[in-house]
Amino acid sequence: MAADLLKDSPLKTVQVEALVVMKIIKHCSQTFPTTATGFIVGMDVSSQLQVTNSFPFPTVDVPQTDGHHDSNAASNLAAAAPRAKANAVYQAEMIRKLREVNVDANNVGWYTSANLGNFVNLNMIENQYYYQKELNERTVALVYDVSRSSQGSLSLRAFRISPSFMIAYKEGRFTTESLQKSGLRYQDILHELPLTIHNSHLLSSFLHTLPKSPSQATQPPSLSTLAKQPPPLTPNLTTSLTLNIDPFLSQTSDLLLESIEAHHTELNNHQYYQRQLAREQTKITAWQQKRKAENASRALAKQTPLPEDEWTRLFKLPSEPGRLESLLNSRQVEQYARQVDGFTAGVSAKMFAVRGNLLPGVGIEER
Amino acid sequence: MADTDSFLHLARPLGPAPGAQSTTAPLNVVILPQAIFSILDHSLRRNAQQERVIGTLLGVRSEDGQEVEIRNCFAVGHTETQEQVEVDMDYQKQMLALHLKANPKEVLVGWYATSAELNTFSALIQNFYGGQGDGTYPYPAVHLTVSTEAGKEIEARTYISAPVGVTMERAADSAAFIPVPYEIRYGEAERSGLEVISGAKDMPDRTANVLTDIETLERGIEEVLAMLDRVSKYVEAVIEEEAPPSSALGQFLLNALALAPKVDPADIERDFNNHIQDVLVVSYLANTIRTQIDLSNRLATAALTLGGGDGFADKQANGTTSETNQRGGGQRGGRGGRNQSIAA
Repeated sequence: MAADLLKDSPLKTVQVEALVVMKIIKHCSQTFPTTATGFIVGMDVSSQLQVTNSFPFPTVDVPQTDGHHDSNAASNLAAAAPRAKANAVYQAEMIRKLREVNVDANNVGWYTSANLGNFVNLNMIENQYYYQKELNERTVALVYDVSRSSQGSLSLRAFRISPSFMIAYKEGRFTTESLQKSGLRYQDILHELPLTIHNSHLLSSFLHTLPKSPSQATQPPSLSTLAKQPPPLTPNLTTSLTLNIDPFLSQTSDLLLESIEAHHTELNNHQYYQRQLAREQTKITAWQQKRKAENASRALAKQTPLPEDEWTRLFKLPSEPGRLESLLNSRQVEQYARQVDGFTAGVSAKMFAVRGNLLPGVGIEER
Repeated sequence: MADTDSFLHLARPLGPAPGAQSTTAPLNVVILPQAIFSILDHSLRRNAQQERVIGTLLGVRSEDGQEVEIRNCFAVGHTETQEQVEVDMDYQKQMLALHLKANPKEVLVGWYATSAELNTFSALIQNFYGGQGDGTYPYPAVHLTVSTEAGKEIEARTYISAPVGVTMERAADSAAFIPVPYEIRYGEAERSGLEVISGAKDMPDRTANVLTDIETLERGIEEVLAMLDRVSKYVEAVIEEEAPPSSALGQFLLNALALAPKVDPADIERDFNNHIQDVLVVSYLANTIRTQIDLSNRLATAALTLGGGDGFADKQANGTTSETNQRGGGQRGGRGGRNQSIAA
């Protein structure tokens, strides 16, 4: 079902200008570890969404208590920013201004920062839902992972809410029954779009003017000149080849455990509900049987039978807890697990390489 | 890129100028790449008849005013004819207010133009940006020129201005632009982004995909191999007396080689095994958890109704969940309900 509906959605790829990448990186890393959000403008060209500029949302002053900054409250405010009313005004004004200087003044979505992939939460869903429903169907959410990007490769991803989830969220009910009916799985919530980075002609030409490798002709006069800062755009080997990913791995594992705990809480809630429901239902059946027996005796006594549906007034069935949280949580767990997979894949390759280097001949023997 | 020679600064007597003049003390300018990117983008979006576009530079200034870091900028509309120049001041003020809302720490530091030319109009605008009130006074306004002429190298230069001793009437539209040194600097956070961006510079379609961790690793290793190759070629050339030897390079290489650790092979073997086992266990557990969650989810969405589940499952023309799984769930519906709690 989801696949069919996605075919109707014309957005297939997202192309992000280098300018946007840099602006998002700047904003997100400046505010880290507080969540940063902003909006992106651009245009859609047939099935491709081109993101050409981005702007941060205004910062909200968080009342500071006893001098220490409450980053949690700030994060929450920032995370809710994309759908705040004041920001819609800000955004509209900014876009009007941008039109004057020929910037593509179409709202195409928003961006948020993340820490080791912890972006799948209710805030994210609500924001994207708001964007896809209220503003423009063809919008994306860009997620920039600050921690993962500092670990080597850039982590910028584009997400959309799948149409089937849009429908389910509109109805607002996530009960077991509705989930069964729609067959909605956590994999179907967010739909990731492939993302490419695009440079303008001018930018390519600018990048080519930056020196890449040190020139051969000049001889360094002394050892100290060699120790100086490397020229710009040298590949970042220290982070991509480092063996020390343990902090990242343990942090991801911590987050994973947290998610599992949340999952357990959800499950306990649900079990509690089921027990409650079963108890009520046995009570109801008991009452119904009693009433039936009573009616039978009344029928024998030629009396009018008592109504049999009175139990709806006497008993109240507990309401089912929403399943949305657990759905999102599952998606988050999947995200973490894949992340761990990625980390370990990289590090085991690196470790074998190191062993091969330090113990020459061991690898060959085994072969 | 512009040559980064040293600059000579001469203290000059202050000439007549409208109001007090800002200092002309030398200063260092640091430009973050996103500012340059933004200027280049603006330059691309100029109107066809416009030769250059201008905009406002935002950034932070060090406490003593000796260093200016240009962090951000925005475009300002202006029209320029032979006789006069018109800058949309209202626009500039409103945009500045909007930007300050989102970045309260940044202040106005100067302006940019997308041509290397300095003329009377530049002086006029410069005096506006450096003036009192809305300008950067008492600090000097920084003027950044980025030449974006097609077919030529992109060249950036930074200036501050000093008043020149002409008559009072001409003071407003004259200024001596003093070049100041600048550097393009970026932090660790921007590195990964720039790497991908620069990866696209040799592509014919000027696009690049975001690399996965493994691809980054592969590229890193290739880069190291290329470096080793280059160094060994150089060393060979020196031995063959084809290239001039350099004692500094030799010392550097020796230092690098001395970094190789001397460890007992048995120790390496042990540490290696310990670590790889830890890593693999974490990976294994993470995957188990994922499978469990998936299982629990499948059981939750599969038809759990007691009996009659088959018909129910058939009714759902579900493309994504496999039919077999749904049927299975339907038949074992009763048990599935309990399994769900155990599974997680």
